[in-house]
Parts: sequence; C-alpha cells; structure tokens
Amino acid sequence: MIAVMIISIGAVMNRAVTYYKQEPWEEYLTLIGSIELGSRRLVELSLANYTNAASPDSTILRNNLQKWQINLTKIYPGYGVIMNYTLANQVYNVYGTSLRYSLGLNQTWLRPSSFSAANSTFNLDINSVGLKGYKFTSVAFLNLIILNVTTSSNEIAVTVKGDGGIPVTGLGEDNFQVVGFSISKATSSYDQQYLIVYKIKYVGTLTLPVTVKVWDTRGIQVTAKYP
Amino acid sequence: MKMKNRNKKAQIRVLETILASFVMMVALSFVNIFATNPTSPKYEATELQKVGYNVLHDLDEQGLLARFVYNGEWNNLRAALRVTLPTDVYFNTTVYDLSNRKLDDATVFLGNSQIFTNSKNVVSVTYGLVGSTKVGAAYQAVYDPRIVILWLTRG
Repeated sequence: MIAVMIISIGAVMNRAVTYYKQEPWEEYLTLIGSIELGSRRLVELSLANYTNAASPDSTILRNNLQKWQINLTKIYPGYGVIMNYTLANQVYNVYGTSLRYSLGLNQTWLRPSSFSAANSTFNLDINSVGLKGYKFTSVAFLNLIILNVTTSSNEIAVTVKGDGGIPVTGLGEDNFQVVGFSISKATSSYDQQYLIVYKIKYVGTLTLPVTVKVWDTRGIQVTAKYP
Repeated sequence: MKMKNRNKKAQIRVLETILASFVMMVALSFVNIFATNPTSPKYEATELQKVGYNVLHDLDEQGLLARFVYNGEWNNLRAALRVTLPTDVYFNTTVYDLSNRKLDDATVFLGNSQIFTNSKNVVSVTYGLVGSTKVGAAYQAVYDPRIVILWLTRG
C-alpha cells in the first residue's frame, strides 16, 4: 500500500514538474509574440508612410490598424483573436521630450532637434484559450539632432536616436540628405555625450539655416533645421 | 510446534514480498500509461513548433523575413531556414496572400514529400507579415499582409 502511495505521489510530482511542457499555452505565447511584432511593424510602416508622403495622410495609422484588426482573423483562423487599439491622442513624454500625438502620430520637424513618432496601445483577446485583456504598446520613434555646422570644413555633426532613445548605428551617406547640397561622405564616431555622432561632409558653400533629412532602416524620415 | 510456526511466518513473508512486488509492478505500469517522456510525440510536436516559430520570429526581428517574402527571394529564404534550423529538421514553406493565393515558387523546402507523409510528427507554424518597406529612391511602404506557413518534421 505504501509502495502504491509513493509511486502515485512520484507520478503526480512528475506531472506537476512537466505540466508546462504539455500544455498548449506555449503555442499561444508564440501567437501573442507574432501579433505583437506584427503590430509594431505596422506602426513603423504607417509612420514611414506618413513621414515620406508629399501630403501626409494623418489617418494612415488608424486605417492600417482597422485593416489589421480584420485581417488578423484571416491570418490566424480558429483562435478567436480579437484586437482593439487606442491611438495616442494627447501629450506624452517620450524619452524626456513632450510630444503631442494626433491619431497616434507626431511629426515635430524643422527644429535643431526634430522627431517623428507613432504610438498605439493594443488590447488582445484570444477566445480559444480564454485570454482576455492582454495589453501592449507599440512605439516607433526617430529623433534627429543637428549638433553643429562647421562651414569652414563643410561638415555637419548630427546624432540620430531611435526607439528607447538609443542611438541609431549603421547609417551612411544614403540615409542623409542636406537640402540643396550633395553629400560626399557620412561617417560615425563615438561621442561621450551622444554615444554616436555622424559627421556629414557636404559639397559646396553653405549659408545658414541648413535643413538635414534622415531616413532610418525602417524608412522613417525626420527633417531637422539648424539653427 | 515452534519450528512449524516459524516456517509458516517465513512463508507468509515470502508471499507478502511477492505480492508487494506485484503491486509495485502494476503501479509502475499504471503510471507509465500517463507518463510523457521527453521523446514522446507530444513533446516533439511542441519542440518543433517552438523551433519553427523562433526561427521565423528571429528572421522577422532582423528584417530579413519581410525582405525575402516581399522581394520573392525564395532561395535566400530557403538558405536562411536551412542555416538556422537544426540539421535533422526538414521543412516546407508556403507563402499566401490574404486571398489564399500561393505566392512562393515551391522551392522553399528541404527534404522530399515522402519524409513529410511518412513522419509521425509533422507540425505547422503560421506567421503573419504586415507589409513591406523599401528605403531609398524607390521608397515604398505598403500594407499588404502575407501568411507564411512553415511545415516541419525530423528526418
């Protein structure tokens, strides 16, 4: 009798320890991860579209999210995926700067420190597993700061920050544009204050103010003006 | 008389031992029915799904999956999957648009159809992509979802 009890307890303990491996929730974690990344990509794509259009469509993020909401059920059929979103529509403090969003988008340009940003909060339900109210926020952000312009050496020093206020690396001359001038070279170097500073060499004689544009690898654009 | 009693006791002990062993064996067999060992199909399917999803997620995080799918770089997608998946895992990938139109050229696979039909554990991973962004002179950011289905099995 004692032997049966010991073995039964052993079996129960084994089941308890390996329970997580047998349950289907892992599958749903991957589903959540996939939807979360897709939603972030959509926010980035909408901001890229908004910042590159000649006449920006301020409803682009909302329209894309409406379509995404419907298309999610086609992409993941049978899961009972219901996604709702709330677009940022007020002043938010983003990495130490106050940004006013309208329909989830912000474009603060033509300043020495300029921004493009998008922000949306999502609420996800997966009815097939009884998941309700899983919340996550997707933020896309790009900040271009013109630090100084040295006309004597035809050089503009800028720094570029992305999501999380983290300096953006790997940009080259193709990612920058000095309005009215061609760029001969763009190099990056370490800086104690900004971590990464890009030195843009332009061709020609420049008179201030100067306008600089940047595109990151996601296609998001920011236009800054100095001074 | 004393000797007889002792013999009886010993016989009972032997019987008890045999009975206990029998009970233990029955209990062990009973437990084994419910036990899910690490090599069982139940674990294998979950593991393969995890591997498949992680590979697609990593490729997407690096911006490679969208590039391969939207630019039709099927050979690159095949090479990326071949490099990132374990060597004993065979795969077959299909890409659809939202109208269920097949978009790939049926070359994104490793192994043959027999491996998938004969294997006990074939799993599928569904992954959604939202759209593509082309940077540079031909700038384009388009919302155009794609559904990537990755079938996996071990050889």
